[in-house]
Amino acid sequence: MSREGSTGRALRFPATQRWPLVAGMVLLSASAFFPLYVMASNAFRSNLDWADSQIGLPTTSDLAAFSRAWDGASIGSSFVNSVEIALGTVALTLAVATMAAYSCSKIGWRPRNWVFLFLLVWIVVPPLVLLVPVYIELASLPLLHTNLLDSKLGIVLVYTSVNLPFNVYLMTAYFRSLPDELLEAARIDGATIPETFAFVMVPLARPALATLAIFNFLWAWNEFMFALFILTSTSTKPLTVAVQQLQGRFDQDPTGLMAGLCIATLPVIGVYLIFQRHLVRAITAGVGK
Amino acid sequence: MASVEAPSAGSPRRSALRRVGRSEWLWGVLFAAPAVVLIVYFVAYPVGTVVYYGFTRWNGLSPAEWVGVHNYRTLMDDQVFRQALRNNFLFALSVPIQLTVPLLLAYLIHVRIPGWAFFRATFFIPATIATVVVGIVAYSTFQVTGALNSLLGAVGLDGLQHDWLATSRTSIPLILLVVVWANFGYNVLIYLAGMSALDPALEEAARMDGAGPWKTLMWVVAPNLRRVMELVLVTSTVTAFAYMFTYIYVITNGGPGFDTNVAEFQIYYQWFTNGNAGYACAMATLLLIITTILGLVQIRVLTRRAA
Repeated sequence: MSREGSTGRALRFPATQRWPLVAGMVLLSASAFFPLYVMASNAFRSNLDWADSQIGLPTTSDLAAFSRAWDGASIGSSFVNSVEIALGTVALTLAVATMAAYSCSKIGWRPRNWVFLFLLVWIVVPPLVLLVPVYIELASLPLLHTNLLDSKLGIVLVYTSVNLPFNVYLMTAYFRSLPDELLEAARIDGATIPETFAFVMVPLARPALATLAIFNFLWAWNEFMFALFILTSTSTKPLTVAVQQLQGRFDQDPTGLMAGLCIATLPVIGVYLIFQRHLVRAITAGVGK
Repeated sequence: MASVEAPSAGSPRRSALRRVGRSEWLWGVLFAAPAVVLIVYFVAYPVGTVVYYGFTRWNGLSPAEWVGVHNYRTLMDDQVFRQALRNNFLFALSVPIQLTVPLLLAYLIHVRIPGWAFFRATFFIPATIATVVVGIVAYSTFQVTGALNSLLGAVGLDGLQHDWLATSRTSIPLILLVVVWANFGYNVLIYLAGMSALDPALEEAARMDGAGPWKTLMWVVAPNLRRVMELVLVTSTVTAFAYMFTYIYVITNGGPGFDTNVAEFQIYYQWFTNGNAGYACAMATLLLIITTILGLVQIRVLTRRAA
């Protein structure tokens, strides 16, 4: 997959252009670190120091802001909630989308293209349009008469559904790029349709599954709007909602807010940076098809 | 597939094929069912209710009263909603930036400019930060006692200090900048994926012909990335109309006045603050029509890509 050291390297910018371009890219990289710097440097500042200046390194340093954020916004339990919701969304989305994509690309039933189109068209719906009807629906599920409001299962179902069009599209495109001969071979060996799915298609789809797992994890981890209205109690609300509630106290405790943002953000960035080589390759491999 | 290849042979063979055909139907339905059920339950049906309530007078609680196109007639003269939509179109100015800047950045990484691996790693960092966190940091930076003004003061540019979020002349360009910044890493990666799928012989041939890196980008790489560019085009257009809520909610709350309002925020405001649920549904339907028109282009692109 990686083309390290192939033709690209032969193309060289003249030095007069190369270094200004590199300088521009360095500036952009610095901008990527800017919010991290703002959060981290101000989280160690005292609120008095904050009023004085928010740039430069803090003159005081203590961890009081972190403990205020931790207690004030129940960051600890929100963190666990965010992890559970994101992992649940990834698992359900991958299962449902992969099955649907298989059905729409490799099972030879007549209406499969219409089903694909039906699953895809909802990609244009702005999530906000769904917010209130989904809220009403969760309060009393039609046909099932259960209340999934303020429940993690409920939000996982919503996240999965809202993102299905995109996921089914990417997965279907990936399956279509795989040659039909593989299926023929499996069929000749006597494999049934579900066996072919489990033992031939899913293993082959691993690059695309990795890409979608990353996209969906980030999406669910970062989602705010649905969570704000649907998840309200401490036992369910994710980090995004918890830190936004810290913002309400911004004027009294800006450094506590910054500490909360640090706790919410740095773990994900840490995981990303540790695995970035792998992740970037996985993303490009799954999309490039 | 099996039925297409079916030869008109003897009956035992044909019944075996029919059995295959039937099992393909059975499994086709079963494998697609979970996705179809979820979409119907949590997307299609809710969209239907929104469209329906758009024709009613409704406060969100008591029974709705059918009023026909009354809400849409009111909508025609709604200056606030018109301004919100105008702001959406202003935010769509991010589209040409998203289309070109990430292409250039991806290309520089692709040709292994010094430090490319570092740039490739860092450009995606903004995409890993939650929108709500990005918004809070932006708010804290641009507010009147924020980091931007401290920085200007520290370097002696006090004259440029300004309440950046107090007027739409500065707040809209700044929010635009934040949205571009938050999303460019995704687009760089998508372009990179497209470039690594290109046939290396193309660039090799350009090099043999003596083309420099700029000419190669303009005449060889970019034209062969048309599908990827279309994908970036439509996703960033939809972002400007359908994914602005969190930015606005956190950075300006639509203010001052309705200056930084967008359609999504106005729908939310009418529904939750004013209790005009029926009217909000009419606005939501109109927004849906706009994104559908934009999305028709998108789906055409996507299905062509998948085919």
